[in-house]
Amino acid sequence: MAEVVLENICKTYGNNFHAIDQLNLSVEDGEFLILVGPSGCGKSTALRMIAGLEDVTSGSLRIGGIDVVDMPPKDRDIAMVFQSYALYPHMTVFENIAFSMRLAGKSKAERKKRVDEIAKTLQLTSLLDSKPANLSGGQRQRVAMGRAMVREPAAFLMDEPLSNLDAKLRVQMRAEITSLQKQLGVTTIYVTHDQTEAMTMGDRVAVLKGGVLQQVDTPKRLYESPVNAFVAGFIGSPSMNLFEATLTGDELTSGALAIRLQDAAFVRRPGLKSYAGRKVVFGIRPEDLYDSNLESGRKYQTIPAKVTSIEELGSEHIVHLNIDAVRVDSGDPDAVQDFGLASNAVARFEPASTVRAGSEIRLALDDAKLHFFDPETHLAI
Amino acid sequence: MTRQKRSHHKLKRAVAPYLYLSPSLLIIGLLMLLPMVTVIAYSFQNSAVLRRDPSFAGLKHYQAIFDDPVFWASLWHTLYFTCMSVIFHMTIGMIFALMLNSDRINPTLRNILRVLYILPWLFTAVIIAVIWRLLLEPNGVVNSILMQIGIIGSKVEWFSSPQTALHAVTFANIWAGYPLFMVSLLAGLQGIPKDFYEAADIDGAKAYQKLIFITIPQLMPIIISISLLDFIWTMQVFPLIWITTGGGPIYATEVLSTYTYKLAFSSYNLSQASASAVVILLISLGLTLFYIRYQKAR
Repeated sequence: MAEVVLENICKTYGNNFHAIDQLNLSVEDGEFLILVGPSGCGKSTALRMIAGLEDVTSGSLRIGGIDVVDMPPKDRDIAMVFQSYALYPHMTVFENIAFSMRLAGKSKAERKKRVDEIAKTLQLTSLLDSKPANLSGGQRQRVAMGRAMVREPAAFLMDEPLSNLDAKLRVQMRAEITSLQKQLGVTTIYVTHDQTEAMTMGDRVAVLKGGVLQQVDTPKRLYESPVNAFVAGFIGSPSMNLFEATLTGDELTSGALAIRLQDAAFVRRPGLKSYAGRKVVFGIRPEDLYDSNLESGRKYQTIPAKVTSIEELGSEHIVHLNIDAVRVDSGDPDAVQDFGLASNAVARFEPASTVRAGSEIRLALDDAKLHFFDPETHLAI
Repeated sequence: MTRQKRSHHKLKRAVAPYLYLSPSLLIIGLLMLLPMVTVIAYSFQNSAVLRRDPSFAGLKHYQAIFDDPVFWASLWHTLYFTCMSVIFHMTIGMIFALMLNSDRINPTLRNILRVLYILPWLFTAVIIAVIWRLLLEPNGVVNSILMQIGIIGSKVEWFSSPQTALHAVTFANIWAGYPLFMVSLLAGLQGIPKDFYEAADIDGAKAYQKLIFITIPQLMPIIISISLLDFIWTMQVFPLIWITTGGGPIYATEVLSTYTYKLAFSSYNLSQASASAVVILLISLGLTLFYIRYQKAR
């Protein structure tokens, strides 16, 4: 078990492309850290640099206090779980798990003892003689975990290990990996593009965009206090609604839209006053928008909106809306899919809501839940 | 649909595939099965082809070739020629494929090597035979280089000496045949996921361990398939040996194909030649069945 520290890590490719720029990250001993971001943000590159599968262009990288930048992967005392699992198809489950011990010249008896222990933990005992081709996705995933565990490494590195599983199994494996990590107490760095995995699994989450670290924090703080519009848009599903408006006195206005802000909003964000008479980006999460016809929405101020479509999920309704304001792009390429062509906002209504597609409604919003960002820098105010 | 119409439709559906197959079946029957059956029939006749009403000879011709020491010598030469060829085709093909697949070699050099290594495949057997006859002539390039380095003291008559002739033709055949392995193994190597090697790197595998534990097992299906095919094809090689040595000197490079050819077209003993051809057919058939079974088992 060990601490993993990245200091000013940079990765530049031959064509002068900066995959990682000045990455500073400190993962504590036994911590479960999630590296998350949209595709191409450099999260896998960062993980592969820690593993030693990619060269570090500049910066320092320490695992357990030892600088490992010039060390080959095998000397770094890490184990990695690959997205494809990288199980050897010609070897049985036992041989796959025992492979590193075999390379290290461990005796047959030693190998058997250790593999049996791990198989018991991962409920793989009955499958030890099977080949990977005969296993289900979840079983393969567990074998890949077993292969990482067998080495008793200082740190686990996991590169989107659940992305090949179907949705139901993913939920189950998410819980299994989390509890296993707690049980073993091994420092773990886990890469994913799925913000649900990020929010549910990690002690802390590091959000990357374009090779630059945006924010490292607990899932709760990332959700409640995003440092910029990108993190605000990326964390949470459906994404936060972001709009541009003008702050006039204590009112946000944009077209026919007017939202009155209470004094508390200015007390919480003293910087907001300086935007008076100027444009500002405001954001509100879909769960903080309500159907004004329902009990939950009655106590809030309302704005006009047109319903464009509804996804009825049983436990809730995802309502796509059009409101009279200019939507702001958070810079998250995956966010686009949340908005249909005709809609520019998403709300999460209780299943009791009776709104229909095409109808004009009054949308209730909790102004205490508004987030504010600078229109130029997109930094939180 | 009436019952009559329905049964007519059923019949049409049942017959259709055979109708589509019939042209190829007819051609295979005429050009392959008929000659094969005829040769088998000849091997049981006296003075086959030469006489209008040949008499039944039983196993006489088989007895004759099995009593002939030249037949056994050519069988042994065929096995040596074939086994050595397949082993070295595979080894050289593997080494070159690994080289061409390595990202440690400069990409431009890799492309040049790729063309160079595949060259032997572009030549027909006749050209290969002529090239090696010229190279291995007593006054040829090979002798001159070997003498300059000091490996041999005097000129060696590679194709004319009974001690070296079989090795020389085998060598020429190895040179001519490795690209098949190289190309197939290269395709196989490119299909092995990079993750396997990265996982092995993290687990601490050395280069030779990656070769033994990952590369070779992953290539095994290709190695077995191509080896079996190469074995079947090499056993039947004729033009290379015929043009370089003609089976000589003193039967030193006689293989089953040249032995059969000589029986048929030098001695005009077509019945005995047919018996020898049937022996070759049986050996090839055995290997082919083995190959088909292996392919089915996969």
